[in-house]
Amino acid sequence: MSIQNLNTFDPFADASKGADDDVQDGLVHIRIQQRNGRKTLTTVQGLSSEYDLKKIVRACKKEFACNGTVIEHPEYGEVLQLQGDQRENICQWLTKAGLAKPDQLKVHGF
Amino acid sequence: MAEDEAIFDPTLKKKKKKKKTTFDIDAALAEGDAPESTTNGLEDNEAPPAQEDADDNADIDLDFTKQKKKKKKKPFSTDDLEAALTDIKDETGAGEGGGQDDEAIDDNFDLDFNKLKKKRKNKKNLDEIMAEVDDKTDDKENVDDNAITWTGSDRDYTYEELLNRAFEIMRDKNPDMAAGKKQKFVMRPPQVVKVGAKKTSFANFTEICKMLHRQPKHLLDFLLAELGTSGSVDGNNHLIIKGRFQQKQLENVLRRYIKEYVTCHTCKSPDTILQKDTRLFFLQCETCGSRCSVASIKSGFQAVTSKRAAIRAKTA
Repeated sequence: MSIQNLNTFDPFADASKGADDDVQDGLVHIRIQQRNGRKTLTTVQGLSSEYDLKKIVRACKKEFACNGTVIEHPEYGEVLQLQGDQRENICQWLTKAGLAKPDQLKVHGF
Repeated sequence: MAEDEAIFDPTLKKKKKKKKTTFDIDAALAEGDAPESTTNGLEDNEAPPAQEDADDNADIDLDFTKQKKKKKKKPFSTDDLEAALTDIKDETGAGEGGGQDDEAIDDNFDLDFNKLKKKRKNKKNLDEIMAEVDDKTDDKENVDDNAITWTGSDRDYTYEELLNRAFEIMRDKNPDMAAGKKQKFVMRPPQVVKVGAKKTSFANFTEICKMLHRQPKHLLDFLLAELGTSGSVDGNNHLIIKGRFQQKQLENVLRRYIKEYVTCHTCKSPDTILQKDTRLFFLQCETCGSRCSVASIKSGFQAVTSKRAAIRAKTA
């Protein structure tokens, strides 16, 4: 005889797993920084550590025709850094590749 | 008179079936009452002991005409109906028959005779006055009905009409809301001046802080974190930012600041207070009383944009 009330049921089972395994959680901050002259730098912070950032940066460099690198930061983890104002490009690319949802992207800067 | 009622009822029911709307029944009732009362009064005037037979006949005749009229009116448009209503009123009230149907005209002749007599005898009897009062009340009812334009018709109401009606009722019920329809939040644009080649001055920085009711430090932190640069307030209360920025760009950043830290997240009112409570910033709305936490200002990752050799020289 089984007592239904006492069955173990974890209400947070699917919450901890995440709604969608393919899409990462947390915000992705996309920032722009001014360099000398009219040069700029775009940084992408907060991408999930499950992704291979090196592969991403390789694809981005090819797609946007710019240089870029992955920087290890003690606090923020791996940060993508691209040359030039790539804010629009990286937003579109991340959503198109299904790495992040549009509402997870947070664009900073002017 | 019992027979009269028996005759009356089916006609009323028919009317209901034909017209479907509640307003029409009222109008029809008013229509039915007006001539009846007048005729009754007239007959009474003529013969105080109330010749029941004559009365009955008159009523029955009137009823028939009404039925016929209804049948003919049915295919007409609402305007015609209203016109007809007013016509009937004219006929009964003023006396001169302008009826559109043959039967109506016939009846009107009968009525006219009565009315001619009535005019001669006028201003004596209570019944007369009562009848007039009845007429007046009928008029009032009809006026009320006409105030709302689409009453009396059974066409489908358009979405626009219903929406307007709902809004009108809303405005009537609470005039406060109508006054504060949508309070536009007007901001003065930031005055941005270039300082040399690499710096930008935000001239009315403190003024804008006052307008937003925010600490200059808070706005300064936000601006510098968003723009990813450094800067400070100089002696003339101008904000000097490192880097070249245009007014349009700073407007964008200011707009984001206002959206996040000034307008209430619930009711969008700019009448808010920013409080710091146990390391967290809370936005307290003065209008709706809501209180919610807002994101803390973080500058996040900052890439190295200056010359590395210079940094090394500084630190070492």
